[in-house]
Amino acid sequence: MILKGFIMRNRKWAAGIALTTAALMALSGCSMGGGKSSGEATGDTNGKGKTITVWAMKGDYQDETLATINKAFEKKTGAKVKLQIQQWDGIGTKVTTALSTDATPDIIDMGNTQVAGYAASGGLMDLTSEKGELADGKTWIKGLEDPATVDGKLYGVPAFAAARAVIYNKQIWKDAGVSEEPKNWDEFTADLDKVREANASNPDFVPFYMPGQYWYSALQFIWDAGGDVAKEEGGNWKGSVSSEKSVKGMEEWKDFENKYSSEASRSVDTETPSMDDMLADGKTGAILSNSATIGTVKKTNPSLTDDSLGTFAMPGKSGKNQVSMVAGSDWAVAQKSKNQKLAIEWLKIAASDEIQQTWVFEHDGWLPNSVQGLDKAMKSDKFPQVQKGFFEAAKNSKTTPASPNWADIEADKSVNDFTKTVATGSSSIKDAAQQFDAHMDEVFAKKN
Amino acid sequence: MAGHIVKEADLTEYSGAVSAPTATERGIGRDPKHGVSSPGGKSPKKMKSNGRMAGILLTPTGIILAALVIVPIIFLVFTSFTNFNRRSLMTGEFDMRGLSQYQAVLTDPTFWAALLRTFLFTAALVVGSMLIGMGVAQMMTKLGTVMRYIVTFVLIFAWAMPNVASSFVWVWLFQPKYGVINWLLTKLHIFGDVTNLAWADNTTLAFLSIWLLVVWQAVPYIAITLYAATMQLDPSSLEAAQLDGAGPIRTYWQIVVPLISPSILVIGMLSVIWDFNVFNQIWLVSAGGPGGSTSTIGVFTYKKAFINFDISQGAAISVITVAILLVITSFYVRNLLKSGEDL
Amino acid sequence: MSTSSKAPQAVSAQPRAGKGTKANRNFDWHRFGTGVVAVIFCIIWFFPVYWMTITAFKPRKEVMTSNPVFIPTHWSLENFHTAIFNTSFFVNLKNSVIITFFAVVVSIFFAFLACAALTLYRFKGRRAIMVMILAMQMIPGTAMLIPQFIVFNQFGLLNKYIGLILAYIALVLPFSIWNMRGFFLSIPASIFESARVEGASEWQILRRITFPLVAPGVVSTSVFAFITAWNDYLTAYTFMKDQAKYTLPVWLASFTTPAGTDFGGQMAASVLFSLPVVIFFMIIQGNIAKGITTGSVK
Repeated sequence: MILKGFIMRNRKWAAGIALTTAALMALSGCSMGGGKSSGEATGDTNGKGKTITVWAMKGDYQDETLATINKAFEKKTGAKVKLQIQQWDGIGTKVTTALSTDATPDIIDMGNTQVAGYAASGGLMDLTSEKGELADGKTWIKGLEDPATVDGKLYGVPAFAAARAVIYNKQIWKDAGVSEEPKNWDEFTADLDKVREANASNPDFVPFYMPGQYWYSALQFIWDAGGDVAKEEGGNWKGSVSSEKSVKGMEEWKDFENKYSSEASRSVDTETPSMDDMLADGKTGAILSNSATIGTVKKTNPSLTDDSLGTFAMPGKSGKNQVSMVAGSDWAVAQKSKNQKLAIEWLKIAASDEIQQTWVFEHDGWLPNSVQGLDKAMKSDKFPQVQKGFFEAAKNSKTTPASPNWADIEADKSVNDFTKTVATGSSSIKDAAQQFDAHMDEVFAKKN
Repeated sequence: MAGHIVKEADLTEYSGAVSAPTATERGIGRDPKHGVSSPGGKSPKKMKSNGRMAGILLTPTGIILAALVIVPIIFLVFTSFTNFNRRSLMTGEFDMRGLSQYQAVLTDPTFWAALLRTFLFTAALVVGSMLIGMGVAQMMTKLGTVMRYIVTFVLIFAWAMPNVASSFVWVWLFQPKYGVINWLLTKLHIFGDVTNLAWADNTTLAFLSIWLLVVWQAVPYIAITLYAATMQLDPSSLEAAQLDGAGPIRTYWQIVVPLISPSILVIGMLSVIWDFNVFNQIWLVSAGGPGGSTSTIGVFTYKKAFINFDISQGAAISVITVAILLVITSFYVRNLLKSGEDL
Repeated sequence: MSTSSKAPQAVSAQPRAGKGTKANRNFDWHRFGTGVVAVIFCIIWFFPVYWMTITAFKPRKEVMTSNPVFIPTHWSLENFHTAIFNTSFFVNLKNSVIITFFAVVVSIFFAFLACAALTLYRFKGRRAIMVMILAMQMIPGTAMLIPQFIVFNQFGLLNKYIGLILAYIALVLPFSIWNMRGFFLSIPASIFESARVEGASEWQILRRITFPLVAPGVVSTSVFAFITAWNDYLTAYTFMKDQAKYTLPVWLASFTTPAGTDFGGQMAASVLFSLPVVIFFMIIQGNIAKGITTGSVK
C-alpha cells in the first residue's frame, strides 16, 4: 500500500519530467526558431511610451556622455532609455545568452573584434541599409568598420577608436638629456638607452615597460616586419605567425621587450600590475598605450598633467612608424529587438558629429569614429598636445583579423600565451609560432 | 553527547526526557558496527519501510531537481547529438549529428591529455586537502577554547573568500618582482635570487601554486566537518583505547578514523568531484598555459562551451566526463555496499 | 605546508585533557606542541587573508613595492570609501542578502526532508535516487549554464529574485543531501524505536528527535549553502538583466577593467564581501558551541 503510494508519486515525477521536457522542447522550438529572417526593422520611430535598453561596457563611454545621448534621444523620439553598465568578466556568455532570448537588450556596446562573431551567428541586425544615414557622409575608421562587416554587410556602428602610441614622462626623459621626440627607430632606442643610464641607480626602473602578454604590442612589431597574424586565402583564414616575416617581427619584439622592460614583466599581463600605474608611479619612462591611459595616469598621480606627458607614434625598425593597433567599440542592434527603428535613431545620435567631437573626444578622451572626425579634432583649438601621438598613429592603423572566429582566439587567451612564451623564451619563437598557427587554423575552421 | 543536543535543542514540549538518556546511554559511535557505519542493512528497525512518507518528504526536492537540473541535463545530453552552437541559440537552427561529436572528442589527443592531467591533479588535491584537513580537525579537538576559536576564525576566512578574489590574491602573492612569496623565498636563500620567478610560466610551478590555492580553500570545509564529526564521538571509546596502551597515531587511525569514516568517505567523494571540476583557480592563475600544459578537463570544457560556443561538443565532453566519474564512483559504491554500508 | 601536514602526529598524541596519569605526565609538552602547531598553521593559513586586508588599507603607493610592506605606515580608508560610496554597493548588498537568505533557508529545509526520506525510510528506487543525486554534482558547472539558462528563460524565471533563489537551491540541494546524510546515519536506531513505541508520529519524530540530533549537520550544510550562494558570479550575472538586480560578486568584478585592476579597491571590496560570511558563521558558531562543544568540553 505504502510503497504503491510512492511508486504512484514516482510515476507522477516521471510524467512531470517528460511533460516539462516536451514543453521545453516545444517552447524553445517556437521562441528560438521564431526569429524573423529578413531585414525589415521592427517597431517605429515614434517612441511614446516605449523604452529601449542600452548595454554599455564599463570604462567605454563615460556616464555624462551616455546621459547626453539619452537626453537627445528622449527629446527626439519621446521614448525612454534604460541604460545598463556591464562588467567585462563573463561578458561573452552574458551577451550570447541575452541575444538568444526575446527580452534582449536593443543596443549593445561591443569590442570591435567581437561584432563579427555575434553577427555571423545571427544575433545582430543587418544595418547595411541604414549605413548612409548613420555615417552621414563620413568615412569611418577602417579598424572599427572592417571587423563589424561580415560578407559585405554591416552589423555595427563605430563608437570610438583607441590607437596605440608611445606615452612618455617628459620629466624623466628630460632628466636623461632627451629633449626632442625621436623620429626613427635608432633615435628611439638611443633615447631609451639614455633614460636607462640616467636611472641606473634605481633597480625598480625600466626605460620602457612592456608586459609579455601585451600581444597588441607584438602585433605592431609583426606588421612592421611585413608579417601578419592571419591571412585570408580563398575565403578561409589561416594563421601566419610562423611565416618568415612574422617570426622576424616577433624576434624584434622579443629583443625590444627583453632589453627595455623588466625581467618580471615577461610573463605578466597589462593589468597586474597595471601598466598605466607603472608610468604614473615613475617606475618606467614610457609605455605603449591608448589615450585612456592619459586620464588614468593623471588620476592616479595628480602631480602629472597634460604638460608632463608626451605622445608619439611608435617608430618601426622598418624605417617607417609602426602600424598602430587600433581597438575600440561598436554599437550593435539585437536581431530580436522589438524596437529596431528606435535603436537606429539612438545610434544616429551616438554617431553624430556633435557627440563624437564634444563628448567622445573632448570629454572622454577617445578618438572619434571617422577620418573626418580625426581631422576636425586635430584642427580644433581645444586639441590638447598630449593627444597628438594617438592621432598620428590612428592614421596608419590596423586591427585584428576580420574572421568571425578571431574573438575566440582573444577569449581563450592563446594569443597571450603565445607572446608570453616568446618573451620568456620558454620555447623557441619558431616552435611557439607553429603551435599558435595550428591552434588558430583549428579555430578559424569552425563554422558559426 | 548526543543527549546534550537533544536537551539543549529540545526546549519544546516533547517528552524527550525518555529518549535523551537513551541517546546518551548508547552514545553515538560507541558501537561502530551498529550505531554509525551500518544503520541500513543491519538495523532494519531504523529504516522503516514507509514509501508514502518518503514520497512526501522527497517531493519538494524532486520537483526542483527535476525541473531545474534534470531537464537541463536531458537538454545537455540531447545537444551532444547535434551541432548546437551559438547560431542555434540565436536562431534555433541545428542539425542532428549522431555520434560525431563523441567521435571528435574521443579522437582528440588534447582531450585525453587534459583528462590524464585532471586525474593526476585531482588525486594530488584530494590527498593533500584530506590529509591536512584531517590533521587540522584532530588538532582542533586538542585545543583550548580560545585557540580553537582562532583556528576556526582563520579557517572560515580562507573558506569564505570568493575563489575569484582568492585567485586574484594568489596572482598577487606569486607576482614576479612585486610578489611577497618570491621576496620571502629570496630572503630564505634556499633557491637563490628568485625575485623574478614567473610561477605561471612553468608547468610544475603553475600547478604547485594552484594546488596551494585549492588546498588552502578546501581544508576549512574538511577540517570543520570532520571536527564536528569527531566531537560527536563518545570520549569513552577513545579513553578505552588509551588505557589499552595504544599510541596516539594508532589511536587516531584505528579508533577515530573508523568512527568518523562515514564523514570521511562522503567528504572524500565530494572532494574528488569538486577537485575534478576546479576551474576558476586554474583559469585565473595560469589560463591553462603555458602552451596548454595546465589545461584540465574543466578548462577544456569551458573553452569549448563558452569561448567557442561549441555547445554540442562541450555537452559531449561533459557526458563522457560524467560517465567516467560514474564508473569510478561505482567502484566506490560497491566497496561501500560490501563493507556493510548502505546508500 | 610541511608544518601543517605534520599536525596529525603532533596533536593526536594528546589524550583527553586531565584524565589518566599517563596523560598528566605528557600534558604540558603536548599542549605546548599542539599550541605551536596551531599557531604556525594559523599564520600560514591567515597570511593570504592578512595580505588582502592590509592591501585594502594601504594607500595606492604602498601597494606595489619590490620590498613588501608588511605593516602599512599610512593607514588609508580611501579604498573602502571608493568601494562603498562610488558604486551601487548597497543595492547589490540588499539583493545578495535577500537571495542568499531564502536560498539557504529553503534548500536546507528541503534537503532535511529529502535526507530524512533517503536515510530513515526504505522504499524502492532509493539507491537509484542517491546515485542520481551524486551524479548531478559531477556535471561541470560550465556545461550546465546554457541549458539552465534556456530552461529558466522558458519558465520566465530570469531577472527575478525567485529565479536566482531557485537556481541556488538547485545548485546546493544535491550537495546538501549528501552532506547531511552522514549526520542522519549516525543517529542510533534505538532512539526511533523507543519513540515509536511511545506512539509518536513520523512527523513528530522528524521534528522533535531527528532535527535536534542532526542540528550540527544542518549548521554545517547551511554554511556551505550560504557560501555557495553568496559567492556565485556567473549565474547571477547571466540570469539577471537589470543592474539593479545584480548581486555582490558582480559588484566585486567591477574593479577589474581592461585598463587594469584597481587592486586596493578590489581587495577592500573582497574584505567587505567576505565579512558577512564571517559574521554569519560567528552567529552560527554560537549555536554550534551550544549544541556540540559545550557537551563535550564539559
